[in-house]
Amino acid sequence: MCGIVGYVGNEQARDILLAALKRLEYRGYDSAGIAVVDKTVQVHKSVGNIANMEKGLPELKGTRGIAHTRWATHGAPSTKNAHPFVDCKGHIALAHNGIIENYEEIKRELVSKGHTFTSETDTETLVHLIESLYDGNLEKAVRAALKKVRGSFAIVVVDKDENKIVGARKESPMVVGVGQKANYIASDVPALLKYTNRVIYLDDGELVVIEPNSVKVTNFDGKPIKKEEHRIEWTIEDAEKGGYAHFMLKEIHEQPKAILDTLIGRIPDMNLGLENLSRDISKVALIACGTAYHAAMEGKYMIERLANLPSSAHIASEFRFSPSVDPGTLAIVISQSGETLDSLMALREAKRLGCRTLAVCNVTGSTLTREADFTFMTRAGPEIGVAASKTFSTQLVAMLLIATQLGRERGMLDPEEVRHLITEMRQLPRQVQSVLDNSGAVKLTAEWISSARDVFFIGRNLSYPIALEGALKLKEISYIHAEGYPAGELKHGPIALFTKETPVIACAVRDATYDKILGNIRESSARGTPVIAIGFEGDSDLQRYADLVLQIPKVHELFAPILISVVFQLLAYYVALSKGCPIDMPRNLAKSVTVE
Amino acid sequence: MKAVILAAGEGLRLRPFTANRPKVMIKIANKPIIEYVVQALVANNIRDIEIIVGYRKEQIMTYFGDGFKWGAKINYVSQEKQLGTAHALYQARTRLKGRFLVLPGDNIIEPETIKPVATEMDDWASIIARSTTPSKYGVVCLEGKPIKRIVEKPDQEISNLVSTGIYQLSDDIFPQIEAVSTHLKRNDLTSVMQYCIDDGKRVLGEMTEGRWIDAVFPWDILNLNSEALKGTDVSRAGKIESNVYINGPVSLGEGSVIRSGTYIQGPVVVGKGCDIGPNVVIMAPTTLGNNVTVNPFTEIRSSVVMSDVNIGAHSVLSHTVLGDGCQIGSHFSSASEKARIILENEIIEVDHIGSIIGDDVKVGNMVSVCSGIIIGPNTRIASHKQISANLPDKCNVV
Repeated sequence: MCGIVGYVGNEQARDILLAALKRLEYRGYDSAGIAVVDKTVQVHKSVGNIANMEKGLPELKGTRGIAHTRWATHGAPSTKNAHPFVDCKGHIALAHNGIIENYEEIKRELVSKGHTFTSETDTETLVHLIESLYDGNLEKAVRAALKKVRGSFAIVVVDKDENKIVGARKESPMVVGVGQKANYIASDVPALLKYTNRVIYLDDGELVVIEPNSVKVTNFDGKPIKKEEHRIEWTIEDAEKGGYAHFMLKEIHEQPKAILDTLIGRIPDMNLGLENLSRDISKVALIACGTAYHAAMEGKYMIERLANLPSSAHIASEFRFSPSVDPGTLAIVISQSGETLDSLMALREAKRLGCRTLAVCNVTGSTLTREADFTFMTRAGPEIGVAASKTFSTQLVAMLLIATQLGRERGMLDPEEVRHLITEMRQLPRQVQSVLDNSGAVKLTAEWISSARDVFFIGRNLSYPIALEGALKLKEISYIHAEGYPAGELKHGPIALFTKETPVIACAVRDATYDKILGNIRESSARGTPVIAIGFEGDSDLQRYADLVLQIPKVHELFAPILISVVFQLLAYYVALSKGCPIDMPRNLAKSVTVE
Repeated sequence: MKAVILAAGEGLRLRPFTANRPKVMIKIANKPIIEYVVQALVANNIRDIEIIVGYRKEQIMTYFGDGFKWGAKINYVSQEKQLGTAHALYQARTRLKGRFLVLPGDNIIEPETIKPVATEMDDWASIIARSTTPSKYGVVCLEGKPIKRIVEKPDQEISNLVSTGIYQLSDDIFPQIEAVSTHLKRNDLTSVMQYCIDDGKRVLGEMTEGRWIDAVFPWDILNLNSEALKGTDVSRAGKIESNVYINGPVSLGEGSVIRSGTYIQGPVVVGKGCDIGPNVVIMAPTTLGNNVTVNPFTEIRSSVVMSDVNIGAHSVLSHTVLGDGCQIGSHFSSASEKARIILENEIIEVDHIGSIIGDDVKVGNMVSVCSGIIIGPNTRIASHKQISANLPDKCNVV
């Protein structure tokens, strides 16, 4: 999904284009570019988000221009492949959202006529095609070019001579913003709302020419079309949250799709693009910060279990000071944004010490993915809420896939076991949906805990990192003091803090640790401490020992952490909601920490 | 002009498929019913859309988000208790000024269907359609162009013209909704319309030639599927191994694999991330959702398989609907024949029917289900069982 904007008016275009583009950033940001026209077409592009592009952006003079932001789910983003593209002479610039299907034949013809290309993209073909048809009238040239192309597109085009922007759409969205002595084009309304609330929606097969004082819409043959102007009466925030009160709740509910997207194309045949990942490797170090560190801890358990490789999890900022790795180590660095500075420094340290490196990341083209030897993308889509939700559950899915791959490569898993794991993985999106559909009990529990001052989360083995994550989530957004402990540690200290006012939340799924955790539940209850247990549906023993039971569907024990993490996200969310906390923007926290 | 889509209802009669989702989110050809409505509106350049949500509203909000992908701007209004269609519309009163459209979200329509009311008119208007089973709907009596009377589910045949529930109205309906609710204790739009007509309001009956299909019973999903698949485009995003025979329009989603020896006769729609074969037969009209596994030597014909389903080897499904998340063992049989389906208070005869299986049903090996059987969600069936009676939700057949 991409975003494009265009502006023509009397003010300097640079800042207007940047501000408009930023409103489209939540739809993607792995590369961005801008073209501002004065007497010449000045183009600037870069990999990464818009703020990144802005950093190196010179003062571009001119009162018209176009800009583009891109979110690629496949293929590497690079400055070379970023939009806008210019023609041979650098007189025409174009940004595009969509696919030109027959670009190869057109390109061949253009190359034979002497056009030179700098990228492999379909988009660049379009700008050269327009150049080849240009005789002093941009609108005419675009119209002629569109006759020759097949595919879907929304495009904006600008040239050095005419004070106008030409836009056209077929199967990709585009709106025109009508302003005062200025007009705008964008992929979506939020980009325009800072400047105007009068918009015209373009339809498939329509072409628009905007000048500072006019908007002219025609079909591709040039026949004028009368368009209705709409007045927008909603805010940018409303638009982006799609009916939900908070981004976090929206993102929690997006998890079935995010998990499915992370699995698609990778299972059933385990096409992870990580061949020979474990060759000459004798141990694994998983490195991350914050929530991603909890995914790293899960990864350690999963890799040890499925691949029998000694593994360790490290907090990135600590790893740098005592890196116990060598060239026989696979270093897996996990970061949602791929820009977390502590994680980047740890990656560089691991590389310096000769490790093979694998980045697990959600943003294509981020620094982490560029520097690591191997990359695994979680496909959670943009996450706006500061507290991670869908990016964490997809990191856990990534850990499962990577552990399965390592186990298979090392001969620890036979094809039948791999097949069994894949069959279980396939059920995950549905099971997460089922947790979401049955959130009533979580809401009740949340009301119960919201008056507590301290809350303890306990778990063993695979459930231990999830206990830490549950506590972190609650701390982050509800400001309740919460601690996660391995349940066996209670008697070595923390139990001294247990009172009737300190609820304990116990992860108690039926795995090898089940009997032990029941013991911990009993020892907590014996001190009058209220216990909330999370277990598999139909587990009647839990009802007997715990004050409240939250149920998740019965799954393979390796998959339970994913379902429990969804329960903990909902719990933290509803506690924060009942306490009236600013859920999407908790105090003192930022989404991606790019400083030390 | 704005449009309001009514999507808050549960759709009890479509159980078992509405146990976990609102009726409007039942997918036909892998597209929720309400998506057909949104697309019809956008095609008529009506983009400012209010959706009234209630039962399981998160699923609708998560699916559409802000509507950007559809070229629409969607806002959501909650109806906490589902008291009726007029009450639902009333929830959006502060957001509706002047004229607007009202549409039920649970009927499949096409752009043509709403053309007669897609531009602002002077009078109120209602889209009416011809129906072969008018007794299921509100039957409309016309007097010239204006509607004289709307009779809900009449016992006798009055006419074959029925109300589609699609209206063009204006904001002066809101005091009338209040009046009908207070004095007549009625909260449905049909009653309000009749009240307004009796009060002298002109409501035009606009005939439509476009598609308008309703699902009343769960097996209607099969007819809707067959109807919707008529427009299937050929698209191949997944991987097709060698020695696969594909004939007719077949659409294959991203990340799906069709393995060797598989035979597919379109129109067939296969969603994303499916694993089909080797040696599977799929016959039209059939839809498979996302993330579906079909194991070797299985035959599926004229069926709808929803998402996240696993079907074991050597199985037969014909005229069957399988809900989300079903895990079916090997040698499963759900063959079709003429059958009498037993509902709570009626018995209905259907010509070709296999079985209707709700979400998350887990079935062992060698299970056979008789035609016309309805199985509730979350039911577990042990191996080697024959199911010859309807099963409720969450039951265990051991």
